Amino acid sequence: MSWLGSIGRFGLFCLAFFRASAGRAPPLGATIEQAYRVGVQSLPVLMLISTFVGTNLSIQGYNAFQPIGGQGLVGMFVALAGVRELAPIISASIIAAKAGTEMASQIAVMRVRDQIDALEVMAVSPHWFLITPRLLGIVIVMPALTMLSTFVMVAASYAAAVWQLDLNGATFLEFLLLASAPMDLVISLCKALCFGALICMISCFNGFFSEGGAEGVGAATNRAVVMSAVLCVILNYFISEAVYG
Amino acid sequence: METIAQLGKFGMFTLAVCWRLVVGPHNLADLTRFIWTIVTRCIAPVVAVIFPFGMVVALQGLTIFALFGAERLLASLVSVTVIRELSPVLSAVLVAAQGGSSVAAELGAMRIKEELDATEVMAVDGLAYHVAPRALAIVIACPLLHLVGCVAGVGGAFFTAVVLKGERAGIFWAELFFLTEFSDIWGGFIKSLVFGAIIGLVSCYLGYTTTGGAAGVGLAVNRTVVWTVTIFIVTNYFLTSALFGGLG
Repeated sequence: MSWLGSIGRFGLFCLAFFRASAGRAPPLGATIEQAYRVGVQSLPVLMLISTFVGTNLSIQGYNAFQPIGGQGLVGMFVALAGVRELAPIISASIIAAKAGTEMASQIAVMRVRDQIDALEVMAVSPHWFLITPRLLGIVIVMPALTMLSTFVMVAASYAAAVWQLDLNGATFLEFLLLASAPMDLVISLCKALCFGALICMISCFNGFFSEGGAEGVGAATNRAVVMSAVLCVILNYFISEAVYG
Repeated sequence: METIAQLGKFGMFTLAVCWRLVVGPHNLADLTRFIWTIVTRCIAPVVAVIFPFGMVVALQGLTIFALFGAERLLASLVSVTVIRELSPVLSAVLVAAQGGSSVAAELGAMRIKEELDATEVMAVDGLAYHVAPRALAIVIACPLLHLVGCVAGVGGAFFTAVVLKGERAGIFWAELFFLTEFSDIWGGFIKSLVFGAIIGLVSCYLGYTTTGGAAGVGLAVNRTVVWTVTIFIVTNYFLTSALFGGLG
């Protein structure tokens, strides 16, 4: 039943956050710093992973459709699987793994060292001071990261299709454009916003309520990445079902 | 230069752990306990992630196949993508996020509390006693969870296609292995084993070499997840190219 209790605590945590932050200017410098940390420092890893996910997408699509004679369908596969689903999910998991764990462990260390209590003693709301900049930062950069990841993924799968698999590049692009619409990009931006907010709140929640010294910091970081990955994938299904179902 | 030194240290660490695995002392009770812990910890996240992913594959696959009136091929596409690609990669991502990071956190905490130094003072080989069984447990747990992931992924696709979208259940099961070959199945298991080895070694290395108090443990966990996922996604591309052809 402890998980039921954590859902309740998470709700109360979000409520306390909204109460503390509503109608109050965010700490601007910290917001910019967080946006930099999430956006710029996660960029190389995200680009690397998007590249290899893209090349794999082409190879697997080619292998899946070759027996039924539809090699032209690789482009369509990349559009449906890559642009609509994988790009937002991959960026979300990488951000959860890199920025989310960082948030969780930073806040957990502050909890262990009683720095959060110190903030409260100084009458500074820790929700406002610690979480607002992280939430704003991640929400600002997440759509941009997802766009870049989509672009890199499609470029990499094009490269793999043309150079590794010897497919016709024009056919690839034709089928890609056939199966995708500008609306897909807008939807993946919306997904990115939801995932970003979810990752930030889950990670901060886990860090905020960590207990038990060094082990507690590790456990909080661990829980943060697993919970945000699982919840993002489940949320992704519901968004996709609502939009494309 | 720092990176190269790290690589060298990691290589030495890998050799040392492998050597302990060969010559022992083998501790079978510990090994089974660690495998059990990792499998029970990871099984819920693996199912919770791969089941919805299977549902999404079915959802988008139906969109492709509906264009050609070939919805009956959906099950074959699902089983190929799940067995070859989705289940090995996603189960490894979750083993890294849940199992690998908890191993790094455990070893990191032991290092910070000087428990590892204490075992060495007592003339107990820390690498053989603490590290090697944990690394091997992850290597063994990974394919087991891949198996669970395959079932969950196909189950998710079945749920969307048959229960929600009203495709015929009989056709789904009959076409399930139409495109799947035996090489796909063992290819998936090989991938899963390699990913398991990467996760086990990297997470143990980063946990074992933790420095700098509670913040250091958090950092080790963070690095474990990022590094393992990056390394095995890159490895995955080469494994896919090697195992499933695709070279023109």
